[in-house]
Amino acid sequence: MGPTIILNDVSLRYENNIILEKITATLEAGQCHVVMGPNGGGKTSLLRSILGLTPFKGDIEFQWQQCKGKIGYVPQKATFEPSLPLTVLDFILLNQSRSPLFFNFNKKHKLKALQQLARVGMEKRAMFRMGQLSGGEQQRVLFAQALLDDPDLLILDEPTNGMDDQGVRYFESLINDLVKEKKTILIVHHDISAVRRLQATVHVVNGILLESGQAEDVLKPSKIERLFNHYRHHSSQQKSGDA
Amino acid sequence: MDTLRLLANQGAEAGWLSESFSYAFMVNALVAALLVGPLLGGLGTLVIAKRLAFFSEAVGHAALTGIAIGVLLGEPPENPIIGLFCFCMIFALLLHFVRNRTAVPYDTLVGVFLAVALAGGAALLMYVARKINIHMLENVLFGSILTITDFDLLVLGLSCLLIIVGLMFTFNRILLASISPDIAKVRGYNTHFYDYLFVMMITLVTIAAVKIVGAVLVGALLLIPGATARLMTKSMGSFVLLSSLLATLSCIIGTLLPMELKLPIPSGASIILVAASFFLIATVTRIVGRK
Repeated sequence: MGPTIILNDVSLRYENNIILEKITATLEAGQCHVVMGPNGGGKTSLLRSILGLTPFKGDIEFQWQQCKGKIGYVPQKATFEPSLPLTVLDFILLNQSRSPLFFNFNKKHKLKALQQLARVGMEKRAMFRMGQLSGGEQQRVLFAQALLDDPDLLILDEPTNGMDDQGVRYFESLINDLVKEKKTILIVHHDISAVRRLQATVHVVNGILLESGQAEDVLKPSKIERLFNHYRHHSSQQKSGDA
Repeated sequence: MDTLRLLANQGAEAGWLSESFSYAFMVNALVAALLVGPLLGGLGTLVIAKRLAFFSEAVGHAALTGIAIGVLLGEPPENPIIGLFCFCMIFALLLHFVRNRTAVPYDTLVGVFLAVALAGGAALLMYVARKINIHMLENVLFGSILTITDFDLLVLGLSCLLIIVGLMFTFNRILLASISPDIAKVRGYNTHFYDYLFVMMITLVTIAAVKIVGAVLVGALLLIPGATARLMTKSMGSFVLLSSLLATLSCIIGTLLPMELKLPIPSGASIILVAASFFLIATVTRIVGRK
């Protein structure tokens, strides 16, 4: 079972630029949560704060069911140099095992890595260089990496970027399976129709937390324009107007 | 070492080995080459993956200043190891410390540090020249594998052992921390620790190899075998192994060739020229293969 994540007055600023302001929310355990919002709204910053990758003000508390579980993470983008002979299999082994790549003769390690790649349909690309893969294929490999330790909490930053339709559908079915296993999943996503299919709790962030709720309630056509307005002051004014 | 030298001498007398092997310094030189070659080649792959080529060059050049400081502080001019070690380590760690705390681009920062170290070295050499024969510095700049002593081999052996043991446990994490630091951090790895550890390894191997390849050329031996192997391999494991093999072959051939051909070339220059010829062959093969 994944953890409950409690955000209490989480604020983040870079010099004078306010990125997040007093975000307070509870992300229930064993559910899929989607963070949405306009570009520059602070979605990735919120994820990075939760992961401890960026300093923030306020509190973020993880309430694990028993002992602290494992976390899987798919970053928004990873850059792989095309000429570096780092294969897809190498990349998975790198994350999976401490045995150095030049001294790893353990067949079990390789078999496990190939099985993980098979979960995301990438086993036939195992010997391709990471830098040769398309953006969507790299995302699949990053997703396989995140699933390696059977994590209880999965945090994904725009995981379907560059993926084809088949990849997106496959990803969605995998997410649904993981939710059935009571994992807590937190995804930054920008595709409204895809989020509707995920049956997730949606949190719309644009500097502040604008709205939280089930996808069918939050993503109503009447609300979308207001919630996804790119300019923050518009959103703030709208919010104060609503209030 | 005495047994090894005796065996080599007997082999040379019996005609199994070349006459060069009857000299003790030649056996010392080959042992040093066998120790440092695989290590420089292996670490070189990480230098390439982490894009630290300029950094390793800078540490090599900083060795000149370290040696000058060591000599000025009273160390023996032929082996000022404490000055060399301390200055290079401080240079490398300070450079990384500043890098982690400023927004200055890394290559610019390395350039600044390199210039300061070289200027400091050039200034100190004027004072050093009063104490020693300045031509001794040629050995430091371009290597003198034939003057290696048993003590040098001991220091080299210990450094190599330390780095190899360290690499066996940390290679994957150092690589992951450079390719995807965020994933490494989420996995609970202390990426700063692995960064500093790698910098210390590079500095240690640079210092250990100065006598063999020379301060000016040690960075080249970290890079060229790796660059050659990158052209010829398809996976990270074979990349590291081939790079180590090429670096070792370069060290051995580069040591033996001037002796056998009686050429008055410093060991460092000869080793690098052999390594560069491998690179040339690999590049030409690659270009021809594509046509």
